[in-house]
Amino acid sequence: MSELLYKKNRSFYFLLIIPALFLYIFSLIIPLVFGTIPSSFYDWNLIEGSKNFIGIENYIKLFSDKDFIHSLIFTMILAFFTIVGTNLLAFFTAYFLSEKLFGKSLSRAMFFIPNIISGIMVSFVWVFIFTGAIPSLGKSLGIDSLANISWFGTPQMATISIIIVSIWQGTGFLMMLYITGFQTIPTDVLEAGMLDGCTGIKKIIKIQIPLLMPTITINLFVSIAGAFKAFDIPLALTAGGPSKSTQTIALNTYNDAFISFNTGYASAKSVILFLIVAIITIIQLRITRKQEVEA
Amino acid sequence: MKKMNEKARMYINGVLLLILGIIFMLPVFLIILNAFKPNKEILTDFISLPKYIYLDNFTEAMEVMNFWSSFKNTLIVTILTVALATFSSFFAAYGISHLKGKFSNGLYLFFVLGQIIPFHTVMIAISVLATKTHMTNTLWGLIVLNSGFFSAFGIMTFVGFLKGVPKELEEAATLDGCNIWRTMFQVVFPLLTPTTITLAVLFFLWTWNDFLLPSILNGEQELRTITVNLYMFKSSTNAQWNLFIAGLTLSIIPIIIIYIFAQKYITSGLTSGAIK
Repeated sequence: MSELLYKKNRSFYFLLIIPALFLYIFSLIIPLVFGTIPSSFYDWNLIEGSKNFIGIENYIKLFSDKDFIHSLIFTMILAFFTIVGTNLLAFFTAYFLSEKLFGKSLSRAMFFIPNIISGIMVSFVWVFIFTGAIPSLGKSLGIDSLANISWFGTPQMATISIIIVSIWQGTGFLMMLYITGFQTIPTDVLEAGMLDGCTGIKKIIKIQIPLLMPTITINLFVSIAGAFKAFDIPLALTAGGPSKSTQTIALNTYNDAFISFNTGYASAKSVILFLIVAIITIIQLRITRKQEVEA
Repeated sequence: MKKMNEKARMYINGVLLLILGIIFMLPVFLIILNAFKPNKEILTDFISLPKYIYLDNFTEAMEVMNFWSSFKNTLIVTILTVALATFSSFFAAYGISHLKGKFSNGLYLFFVLGQIIPFHTVMIAISVLATKTHMTNTLWGLIVLNSGFFSAFGIMTFVGFLKGVPKELEEAATLDGCNIWRTMFQVVFPLLTPTTITLAVLFFLWTWNDFLLPSILNGEQELRTITVNLYMFKSSTNAQWNLFIAGLTLSIIPIIIIYIFAQKYITSGLTSGAIK
């Protein structure tokens, strides 16, 4: 019966796939395979209009491009702190907000809402908070050290500012995913653990984290991919400054492509970004899949 | 005794988290508060409550930024993207989860691959492609491209949830005389409502907030979206914080409404599909 039905409907199932397939190929695959990758082998400036095939010369040039290498290192530093920060904060807020709690949905909303506002827009507001609100708060409290912090003056402080805003913005979404994860843990497992004396931190480490491995996989996947694509917050907060010290790979590529119009060279950078994101995600999926425990 | 303790804990932790939540949300509250202050008061007194409710920011911002036109553009693009992306993903996921063998596995992987292609990798190619296909300065260009970007995520999520729908249910529906369309739409689709709403909400937020794609494609003032408009305003006039913040507050309203409406689905709709 089922087999017969399947054969009869096969062409229908194929047809269903076509719209999404078309959209997907048109928006991502064609630009990547026929745009970015081939362009990366050309010396191509959109404004000058010249386009010459130069093989892998763009890629060779990347190795000695100090700004690009710095942007690579900076992106990794930013990614590391953002991934650790957002996941820890999201995990612990989710831990509390998945229990029975007074005002739970309001609390959840307040942690989640920063995530749903445009990163560029909130970053502008953060600029004002860093340069206007915090100094004036410091002055009125009489704490000079708080008032005199130059949030964007040095590369270190600018990096810290970007990390703060990135963590602030990224936490909400991961928290929601962790909350759902916590809710999938059966209560009898927790109760059995409690009877065996497994409470507090021990409960988190021995029972909840292993059972949350699938959620942790997804969350790392989401946050790593997100961190390497960091663009909006650095653009609006520091625009890559001071002196290009806080340029992420995406921002560096963007400036090359849309400000200096080095289309070919920027394409080579794009390919590198793609490879990095792809490799990291594949490695990370392999590692975490192995650790998963069936509930 | 134990019950009392539990109850007290529920309130104490609850209040504690509410306070932490308020601190966390402070920047957003500050945006809204300051939208009701004149510029001078914003610059001198960013953290205090407004001395009186000042509404001129909103009317002035709407005029200066050509606000309604960009609001309308954003709304059209967002709603049509949500519809196209959600339905095309659902259809494709339904097809993939019903087809058997290597081919359907291959298709699934092909779509999942889209998850690891960062937008920044294709943005240059897209700006070139868009010029060639006359997609620049159109709204449909944004709709088609966004739907394409979202389809990977949508299909991955829907396929995960469709695995949980028992095949017997569909067979029973067929025996009862449902044709394939009706089985898909009236039997299976309603079962996935939380997932569908969650995806639709995410697509809404991603499109509404998107800056990079519309800033690359639509330079003409008449076709700008809200984020691009606000960005342009902010970069050209650094001093008019009051207008920027008022415009920002207006642009947040639809997002907050969507969130309140969809709140109960957001947690349940996403994970189990993506995780399985």
